[in-house]
Amino acid sequence: MFQSRGSVGIVDKPFSRQGKQEVALSSFSYLFGEVVQYCQSRVSNIGELERKLDEVGYGVGLRLLEVLCYRERAQRRETRLLDMLKFVHSTLWKYLFGRQARDLEQSNTAEDEYMISDSDLFVTKYVSVPREMGHFNPAAFVAGVVRGVLEGAGFPARVTAHYVPVKDQARPKTVILMKFQHYSAIMQREQRIPG
Amino acid sequence: MPAMYSLWIVGRNGGLLYSRDFWQLPPIEFNDKLRLASSWFGMCGISAQLSPMPDSSGIQLMQADTFDLHSFHTLTGTTFMLLTEPHTPDAAELLRTTVYELYCDYVLKNPFHEMDQVVKSELFDHNLVALFAAVNRRWGVGLAQ
Amino acid sequence: MTFYIFNRKGRCQYYHEWQRLKPVRQGAGSQEEDFKLMFGLCWSMRALATAIDPKSPSMKQMGAPMRIGDGCSFNSIKTSSFKLQFLESPSGLKASWRMPGSGGQPCWGAGCFVLTTDPSVGSMVEQLQYIYASLFVELVVKNPLYTPGEPFLFEPFSAALNKYMRALGLLS
Repeated sequence: MFQSRGSVGIVDKPFSRQGKQEVALSSFSYLFGEVVQYCQSRVSNIGELERKLDEVGYGVGLRLLEVLCYRERAQRRETRLLDMLKFVHSTLWKYLFGRQARDLEQSNTAEDEYMISDSDLFVTKYVSVPREMGHFNPAAFVAGVVRGVLEGAGFPARVTAHYVPVKDQARPKTVILMKFQHYSAIMQREQRIPG
Repeated sequence: MPAMYSLWIVGRNGGLLYSRDFWQLPPIEFNDKLRLASSWFGMCGISAQLSPMPDSSGIQLMQADTFDLHSFHTLTGTTFMLLTEPHTPDAAELLRTTVYELYCDYVLKNPFHEMDQVVKSELFDHNLVALFAAVNRRWGVGLAQ
Repeated sequence: MTFYIFNRKGRCQYYHEWQRLKPVRQGAGSQEEDFKLMFGLCWSMRALATAIDPKSPSMKQMGAPMRIGDGCSFNSIKTSSFKLQFLESPSGLKASWRMPGSGGQPCWGAGCFVLTTDPSVGSMVEQLQYIYASLFVELVVKNPLYTPGEPFLFEPFSAALNKYMRALGLLS
């Protein structure tokens, strides 16, 4: 084997612990635009498009969980639902968007549903959804990331992204809705874990 | 009184991709608009060809009795046309920086936009109208209704 | 710097060039073609200005016939390397929306004056008007040898034009 002196390929670089390498928003937006177009060319309806984007995000989420636990949490991973949600709301969001999500709340109507809401996610920043595409929200990708993170941590859930209009604001906010599977089992498990 | 009237965008093949008025203007029939846009596009090419000096760009400014028509050609061949009151300051600069930037952000980065297709971007519309309303307001002229 | 006079039907009556760094060969191809394209450019721009005019009171129909001198005209177009200064003479272009060239009307006088300058030169409307009124009318139209609408080459006009351009500081 030989190594070129001076320049090191990106895959040869050691995995940085603090590594906070940022990517230009433009580069990301163009890439993301292509991802959406790629997905769009392989589906026949909006539901499928959201599912496709969700799948793309899912892979990212699974990997991100590993990276973030390693980097930010000194190789610890949350085992309780609420702590895990906080991890998504703060740690994951900070990594993805550079700040915490605005809100994290439990649904009033179903106890197994939680919502993270935020506006100005960069995946929606430059996107104008054509009218004929109805309620499509490109944050389906972020929903996929969240689903990957949760599932990797042992909290399988159905995660979807929705636009919700906000009073007195031109732009709607995006709500990531997480509906946990086996919610009662999770709760029972948590009771068994010593606090 | 300086004022900005309307913005047109012409694609690489001379097709009109976008037009919006920021002012109450006498309406131009849609087909005529298409014809005018492609005529402007063609004339930009011809004036560069006829230039007595080498390395001419397309037309950057046309000064007429009742209006100025600024034009900005991107390196990739898109043409922006901005119709203003004669001697309205900053128009060329505004096209080259802010308007082009909005176009790059809200049109080119929109996954649902296809190159050289008609521009249908709510966010671009929204930001553009806000921008020109603000510019016109600065000169004390509102969007005449 | 170049100067053109076209008659109402688009025929070039007079052409002079003071400075032309890009020869016609690299532009339109031939002098004849250059005249044709230059008039086509001016004519199209004139039509465009009338159609786009934001101050006209009503909706215009492209293709509708118009009277001479009606509608918004343009004064100049500018590219990165030159500025085309345009003056429509009072006898005007045959300002219908159809391209001129056919039709049996007599062509009296000139149609338009075109001067190309450096892009940094300001508006030349008044100067072109002076060329029209004091040079063209005096030294060409009043010359008994001049046939309206036909090409001409009169030494006094050329000399006066040169002198005027020099006085304006446009010639080095």
